[in-house]
Amino acid sequence: MTAPFSNSQVLTPADFALITQGADVHGLSRPSQSYWQDAWARLKKNRRAIVSLWLIVGLLAFALLGPLLWQIDPARQDIDQISQAPGAERSASIVAPYEFWGGEALSGFDNGTGLRLGAQANSQAVRLLWEAAPDADGFRLYRNIFPVDGGLAFGLPIAEFPNSLAGFYEDRLDLRPDTYFYSLVTLDAQGALTTEYQTLEVPVHRVITVDEVRTRALVSAAAELAVGNEVFLALHPLGTDYLGRDMLSRLMAGARVSLFIGIVAPFLFVLLGVAYGATAGFLGGRVDQLMMRFADFVVALPFLLFMILFQVVFGIGPGESGIVPMLVALVVLSWPSTARLVRGQILQIRQEAYISASRLLGARSSYLVWRHMIPNTMGVILVTLTFAVPSAIFTEAFLSFIGMGVAPPTASWGSMSNEGLATMLTHPHELIFPALLISITVLAFNLLGDGLRDALDARMRSFE
Amino acid sequence: MVTVRRRDAAPEPPWVHGVSPAVPPAQISVIEAVFREILRNNTMWQYTLKRLIQGITTVWFIATATFLAMHNVPGDPLSAERGTSEAIRANLAARYGLDKPLAEQYFIYLGNFVKGDFGISFTQQNRQVNDIIREHFPVSATLGVLAVIFAALGGVLWGALTALYRNRLPDTIIMFMVILGISVPSFVFAALGQLTLVNLNALFGISLLPVAGWGTVSHMLLPALVLGMGTMAYLTRLMRSSMLEIIHSDYVRTAKAKGLPAARIFSRHQLRNAILPVITVLGPAIAAITTGGFVVELVFAIPGLGRYFVQAVQQLDYTVIMGTTVFYGAFLVFMVIVVDLLYGWIDPRVRLQ
Amino acid sequence: MNPPLLEVSNLQVEFDTYGGTVKAVRGVDFTVEAGRTLAIVGESGCGKSVTVQALMGLIPMPPGRIMGGSATLRGIEILGRKTVQGREVRGAEIGMIFQDPMSSLNPTMTIGDQIAEPLQVHRGYSHRQALARAIELLELVRIPEAARRAAQYPFEFSGGMLQRAMIAMAISCKPTILIADEPTTALDVTIQAQILDLLKDLQRETGMAIILITHDLGVVARMADDVAVMYAGRIVEAGSVDDVFYRSAHPYTLGLKQAMPTNHRDAVQKLMPIEGSPPDLFAPPVGCGYCPRCPHAMSVCAAQPPAPFSVADAHYSRCWLQHAQAPRTVVGLYTGGHHD
Repeated sequence: MTAPFSNSQVLTPADFALITQGADVHGLSRPSQSYWQDAWARLKKNRRAIVSLWLIVGLLAFALLGPLLWQIDPARQDIDQISQAPGAERSASIVAPYEFWGGEALSGFDNGTGLRLGAQANSQAVRLLWEAAPDADGFRLYRNIFPVDGGLAFGLPIAEFPNSLAGFYEDRLDLRPDTYFYSLVTLDAQGALTTEYQTLEVPVHRVITVDEVRTRALVSAAAELAVGNEVFLALHPLGTDYLGRDMLSRLMAGARVSLFIGIVAPFLFVLLGVAYGATAGFLGGRVDQLMMRFADFVVALPFLLFMILFQVVFGIGPGESGIVPMLVALVVLSWPSTARLVRGQILQIRQEAYISASRLLGARSSYLVWRHMIPNTMGVILVTLTFAVPSAIFTEAFLSFIGMGVAPPTASWGSMSNEGLATMLTHPHELIFPALLISITVLAFNLLGDGLRDALDARMRSFE
Repeated sequence: MVTVRRRDAAPEPPWVHGVSPAVPPAQISVIEAVFREILRNNTMWQYTLKRLIQGITTVWFIATATFLAMHNVPGDPLSAERGTSEAIRANLAARYGLDKPLAEQYFIYLGNFVKGDFGISFTQQNRQVNDIIREHFPVSATLGVLAVIFAALGGVLWGALTALYRNRLPDTIIMFMVILGISVPSFVFAALGQLTLVNLNALFGISLLPVAGWGTVSHMLLPALVLGMGTMAYLTRLMRSSMLEIIHSDYVRTAKAKGLPAARIFSRHQLRNAILPVITVLGPAIAAITTGGFVVELVFAIPGLGRYFVQAVQQLDYTVIMGTTVFYGAFLVFMVIVVDLLYGWIDPRVRLQ
Repeated sequence: MNPPLLEVSNLQVEFDTYGGTVKAVRGVDFTVEAGRTLAIVGESGCGKSVTVQALMGLIPMPPGRIMGGSATLRGIEILGRKTVQGREVRGAEIGMIFQDPMSSLNPTMTIGDQIAEPLQVHRGYSHRQALARAIELLELVRIPEAARRAAQYPFEFSGGMLQRAMIAMAISCKPTILIADEPTTALDVTIQAQILDLLKDLQRETGMAIILITHDLGVVARMADDVAVMYAGRIVEAGSVDDVFYRSAHPYTLGLKQAMPTNHRDAVQKLMPIEGSPPDLFAPPVGCGYCPRCPHAMSVCAAQPPAPFSVADAHYSRCWLQHAQAPRTVVGLYTGGHHD
């Protein structure tokens, strides 16, 4: 042991005066907090969970308040702007209405050789001219949005000419404000392509006629309009989809559908599961066995297959959105996991001493359930609910993606992703925006759920 | 999660007699070991039998639910749309038994299922549902098995790594990827995977991997990766939390107090116990992956059963829908039983319950 | 003079937790001699388990931290080291058993394999040899049908049997010290006695020293040669078992004794609980940790930590009442014979 301490240290008699011990002996422990206060304090310290909570509030505002601020009909098509990327140029110059073209070069375009423009190219028409090639047996005209390089990818064949005379062609097919590459390829006697070709790069500007401006109400009715004026097309902050519908308003409408299914369905099936599980757990015995056996059967149903089957069974009539069938199917198939969890909790709580104590004091069953059992399972239920939301959103997206979800005019993030997939290579924004929103929502709910679980210390690991 | 109740005084189980004390298992496969275990003791037998009976009841329930669901579908599969005449329709109805009362139809249907006959397709003349399943299921199964293996191995590996490197760089990086994996829908992965592959192929000027289709191993890699991604992320998280719990468990403390080297503690005490919760969710994970395969099959143009199912639903092909659903259901139930038996083999506590 | 078998001086351990830093052990000194049993007594949270876990290197770091002090085995430092003269400290030099045998054994490994492990690792036994030795060890700790039991899993054992198996595992490599961290707390009273007898017998046979962590004074009286009473991260009184029991020199020891039931027929004394709860070790008190609960507290107690006052040979007390100037008014408090 350490060297014995010499107790000759000088202290004053006052040091040895007795202290009167007050009643504060018990005041030593730290301030006590209720379970929920403590959980909330812990959750508040979890920055990821709090950011997620704000994200969720933001998403709800986007879905509920957004449409009040951005009042564009999500179903309206803007045929001037189809698959428009966000922030794309919206200006258009006013031109005269379309007139027939007979192949004569306009002034300023009357000289030149080879494949050339016969007039100013714009989104109304691209007018092409070319000379005769005496040794050829014909031409084929192609259009591409990429430069024609060594690979000789000419693009879309738009016209074929069985003779080698000088010719002209007017292209009016779905022209966008973009740069096009036209190729005129010489054909041989059999009509097959030869290696001889000419290419022309044509920048196309957007134009609009006065009538179109008026019918689309792009400017105020009083405004004077003349050919050559610049007007701006309707604003689409996040671009448009493949039918020219406004992405922002569709995303908002989709948010309503996706969040509605994502939040209401879990709420309903958790409620059903709690009622079922609590009943089984509270009654116990044979009833419990029977009830849980049935729940086991429902769990064993292949989930997605039955989601699809139920969708078909409930049927989506003409003009219906398909939201209600999906809601019903989700509730019918998803309740057992909550029921199992709650039953387990109730069975555990039933063994606790405070339940026996409460019973001894004459508490009725309903009192026990409402006052003791449900409040003590609230933490677990809350965490389950939070984790059920992302999986419901995924299910909706998944079903809509394979075309078994909401019916077409209705927008949901899943159906929008499905539509966006087709144009992924050329117009990625149509896929990226809905997919991003799904991911953010799922992420936010997952992180919030993690935070809640840590805060409530509900030790659970469920697969769904 | 399987909770194991403690027993203060365990009765002596009958099967322990005559077992030589813990001979170290030689190099035998897991399946072989499971079967040896089954044959070796009664409890495992009873456990297996019990699970099988439960499984058969469950399949019966699935079959009944499917039958009832399909008979409430609005719309007539033999509707006049296809221009079939009254007489032909009556013929078809008689052939498929649609003119009989529901109860009788139900028993015919069950009887056929027991015989393993799923009937004839409604829309493709003279095509047996059995043939359709036989042709397309192996494709889905191959894809699914690859994805499950990928997800399970990846999940265990990454999960163990993150737990060992807790709050350090590898943990942060992997957990970031995991959060992405959990939050991004599978079809986005599929689309992005395909897009990346297209660009990579273009970049190198050769076809590193085919972008779509089916047939060779190279066709399977990307779809399996995409399909297993979400589950792998989930399993990684599960493995991580399970591993962290075990790192702080009393018996790992005991192992340290015994002075065992870290590698031995990891392999003998941590890994085996940490994998248990992962195995319990493998059953549902297999279900999620096989049915989740629909999307991947659609995106990558893979001729699997999932794609067929979606098509059959659109065409209201009664027999194909019912056959496929029940077949999938039976397959999943079977997989869950296999996983349970595997669990019983790894965790001795389960066998006695 | 030979160095003592184990000497711990000024050991300090801290933990970073959610609520701040806990100073769990605040300068602990003790020695253990070969063949003797030291009991460390104290209520939950006083730092007794942390002290021995620090010796074994079982403090998880982070969040734990050894802030200072030393522990020497036969004069050689072991804190932060794994081996002493080529022998592994953990498992070979010092064996350890824990409070809850149910959770302290690997549930998926047979008992035999678990006992065999240290032999394979520290002694280089083959699996077969180690297993044979494990069966002998099970017989040594009086488990019937040892060979059959060795092939079983922990869940097939009762609590008492598991603790026996734990002991077999801890002594498998013939350690010089066995640390028993509340070895009987989780067990039935009848089983407790059997386990304690077993430990005593094994000590007699092997000559190992035992450090017994407990909060049960009955266990102390039955087992210990020396006692160290711990409170709020410090040893407040230490001495031989007779010194501490019959010549208690610290008010906390007195309090503990009064809180313990006795079976004297003439005992009419009521059980007296110690009022209040231990101090918050997030912010340890400046003075004596026991001061707020002490019925004899003085001004100096709140202001300065008491040093260890020697009250007799190898018997000291950290209490200002032992100071030469302190009033000698406390009934039952031994204040020693020699004051200089």
